[in-house]
Amino acid sequence: MPQNSKLIVNAMLKTQELQLNIGPQHPSTHGVFRLIVTVDGETVIDLKPVFGYLHRNHEQLGEVSTYIQSMPFTDRLDYFNSMANNFGLSIAVEKLAGIEVPQRANYIRVLMAELTRILNHAAAVAFMINDMGAWQTPLAYGMREREKILDLFEMASGARMMCNYFRFGGVVRDLPPEFMPQLHDLMRGLPTFFDEFERLLRENEILMLRSQGVGILPKELAASYSVTGPVLRASGIAYDIRKAEPYSVYDELDFDVPIGSVGDVYDRFLIRIEEMRQSYRLVQQIIERLPDTTGGHINPAMANIGKQKALRPPAGDAYGRVESPKGELGFYLVSDGSTRPYRYKVRAPSFINLTPLGDMCRGHKVADVVVILGSIDIVMGEVDR
Amino acid sequence: MTVEFARGKSYVVDRGKPKTRAGQGMLAGLDVVIRHFFSAFGKKVETQADTSGVFTVQYPEERLELPQAFRNFPILLFDDATGHELCTSCFQCERICPPQVIHMSQATDPVTGKAIPAVKEFVIEYDACMSCGLCAEVCPFDAIKMDHEFELATSDHLSMTVDKAGLDRPISYYQAIAPRFWEEAKDSALKKLAGNMKRRSGNIGITPSFIGKAQKAAPAAAKAVSAATPAVAAKPATPPAPIGKNMSEDKLARLVAIRAANAGGAPAAVAAPVAAAADVDHGGAEVAAPVAAAPVRTAPSGGTSAALSTGVPFNADNILGGVPENTAMVEDKIERLKSIRSGNIGKGE
Amino acid sequence: MPSMSAEELKERLTRDLPGALAPARAKAEHVTNGSAAPQTDPPAKPKKGAEGPVDLLATNDAIVLSERIPDVVRYVRDTLGYTFLTDLTAVDYMADGLIELIYRFLHLDGGPTMAIKTRVPRDRAVVPSITPFWPGADLQEREAYDMYGVDFPGHPNLVRVYMWDEFEGFPMRKDFPRQGDKYIEEEDEA
Repeated sequence: MPQNSKLIVNAMLKTQELQLNIGPQHPSTHGVFRLIVTVDGETVIDLKPVFGYLHRNHEQLGEVSTYIQSMPFTDRLDYFNSMANNFGLSIAVEKLAGIEVPQRANYIRVLMAELTRILNHAAAVAFMINDMGAWQTPLAYGMREREKILDLFEMASGARMMCNYFRFGGVVRDLPPEFMPQLHDLMRGLPTFFDEFERLLRENEILMLRSQGVGILPKELAASYSVTGPVLRASGIAYDIRKAEPYSVYDELDFDVPIGSVGDVYDRFLIRIEEMRQSYRLVQQIIERLPDTTGGHINPAMANIGKQKALRPPAGDAYGRVESPKGELGFYLVSDGSTRPYRYKVRAPSFINLTPLGDMCRGHKVADVVVILGSIDIVMGEVDR
Repeated sequence: MTVEFARGKSYVVDRGKPKTRAGQGMLAGLDVVIRHFFSAFGKKVETQADTSGVFTVQYPEERLELPQAFRNFPILLFDDATGHELCTSCFQCERICPPQVIHMSQATDPVTGKAIPAVKEFVIEYDACMSCGLCAEVCPFDAIKMDHEFELATSDHLSMTVDKAGLDRPISYYQAIAPRFWEEAKDSALKKLAGNMKRRSGNIGITPSFIGKAQKAAPAAAKAVSAATPAVAAKPATPPAPIGKNMSEDKLARLVAIRAANAGGAPAAVAAPVAAAADVDHGGAEVAAPVAAAPVRTAPSGGTSAALSTGVPFNADNILGGVPENTAMVEDKIERLKSIRSGNIGKGE
Repeated sequence: MPSMSAEELKERLTRDLPGALAPARAKAEHVTNGSAAPQTDPPAKPKKGAEGPVDLLATNDAIVLSERIPDVVRYVRDTLGYTFLTDLTAVDYMADGLIELIYRFLHLDGGPTMAIKTRVPRDRAVVPSITPFWPGADLQEREAYDMYGVDFPGHPNLVRVYMWDEFEGFPMRKDFPRQGDKYIEEEDEA
């Protein structure tokens, strides 16, 4: 129908805006997350997210627990990547208390962080494509690699998801002897997986049509929206904490930072696949260097858990941040000299990355809302804490 | 636009062709899927390097081996030979537990009233436990460890609050599931246990399933205990405790006299506490068995000191067995005791 | 990589935005342990080896008057080049009657973060909102409002973010009862 007659028809029809509820119980909202969407036909006019369905008051729990008791609770923040959360809290407390981390412990930590990045991006891409309607096929591929890495985590820390592996000054125990052979096996299979995954998805016409031009976050606005992580990099800003303010041993390792050009869903998808390849590169370097590292798996002064739970950092505050797979995960701690923090704040990337959701969805169809939400890659454990 | 960093650069990701091809992209994906589909016939994934083949583990017929570090819920350890629990109720695990699901009380010496390094009651709420493993990490006596058992689903919610009898496992069980961990902890744990055993009197600190059984018959009984899941760990019937080694002479004589009164015709030898223990053990085992298997006995008229032919302290006929003759129990208390005991026997303890 | 220490920031603020920095705090006659709220471990007196009562309000960072926050934030973004607001945190210092807000910025060329603090009285916690020109502060100001009761006039949509809209009280404040507020019955045992 030519444009003019469409306008006339629209003007003659009495249309109304409808308020839809993409309710908390929904398979595609990545957790209990509610969106109140105002639509005109199928086009989104306004979008209001409602949070708080998974609010567990993690920050006040941090105030009544000692620092080491908070460590298992951080596993449950971004429950997909528990090692990254542990890493964030460790960095923050070590900054606050001035604890040194030996070299071997640092390498083990970065190994775990990069394996976490691979498994998060595999699952995030898989879930996003699942939300687009590619029923379970990419999900099965992504989850298969995730399972292999989870087996490695289970071997090292004792649990697949709630790892509780990091301690202040290192990690809880060294890698078991059967860890490295299995890691070598995994590394041999990963390039095949990356190539297959890309081949399966990258040129797929439906994927391209549904994701290119959808959910654009322009470069000029990205910084003012405070988004971090792959979302920021997809908009063209090359900011990665591992390069900007290197922590642990990232300044001794070589890797690149992929950035996007347009800032749409397709860019975020491509960035995550590229970041998986960069993490693979990092893990290869770590495997080469790990046998030559010294220092043990934890700072000897903090090796006993008795020392961990009696930790009394001097009064003051510290902000420690890591590049978690979802963005900048920061912990702000205020210590009053006792064993419990006075203030324990989590700067959750998923929460703040949701700030531009309304603006990104305006003008798109309802079906695109789910795709955009999947491309931001949120975890409600972090959003609501 | 690339930015140079130290040891790397940033590069713009190549988006590929802007126009979609006429279906070739989907065919490329389909090609991947079809190759995987055909390779799945008959080829099972062997190592983690395989990316094709059947990846599924047919649970519960096939199971993967759990790594030693795997942690699910905590258990308490006791020594295979003596039955002594390693736990001294030092409260460290209770203090460090983040969701605060561990509760315990310390045993006290019955004679002096002082605290001794053994635990009286120990309860863990399995349904709220986070499986973080901090309790196992902090225990100075290596008494509480993380179990590998995870098939604990039950419809009985209350059974998820597990007491000490359900938590106790022999050291051999833990050694079988986590040998490397036990190797590291063995020496100091057993040394500390030896020291603690000296400060425990009587049966304090001995796991309940050992009390009443011959102390020597440990491994078989221990296997039976460990095989039971916590949800179905029955409270063992509490037959009278064997005569301990710290009892004074007159106390011993009084106890034997009471037991003789209860057991009636049973050969309650005074000179052999071990024999008495064995006798009581027999009695205990009888009680644990269903009542129908008990041998025929004469039917006394419910009096307090009726002679029994079997030596069984409690049975369906002599409900009152066990009330000593020289206690002055008031009538209604005796009645209440009768009803409690008949109820207990009805439950098939 | 750009990096600005707290002293340099304070010096530049005094030079370019006179009057924005809060006057230097008189050395407190008494120092407190920060929280007079009952804790599970009441710090009646400092344990052996710990320092004495600590002054939680002592800090190196620039403390700005709350009504000058929009000007200072704009200065930080436009003149100093720290165009990214990464964190907006509220802390409740109940014993001193203050709520402190910390705005943390970073420079997109890298380097460590830079913080600006502002302190408002607890019973009248009002800070002008920066959301109209900095949309990234939207959800974070809502969180500070929901959890601490800080009001941000100028915010386009200042409603609660975690608790439901009709909830009364500010949960993260130190005087909010940990058990037994009017929504949950007092538990008999811990």
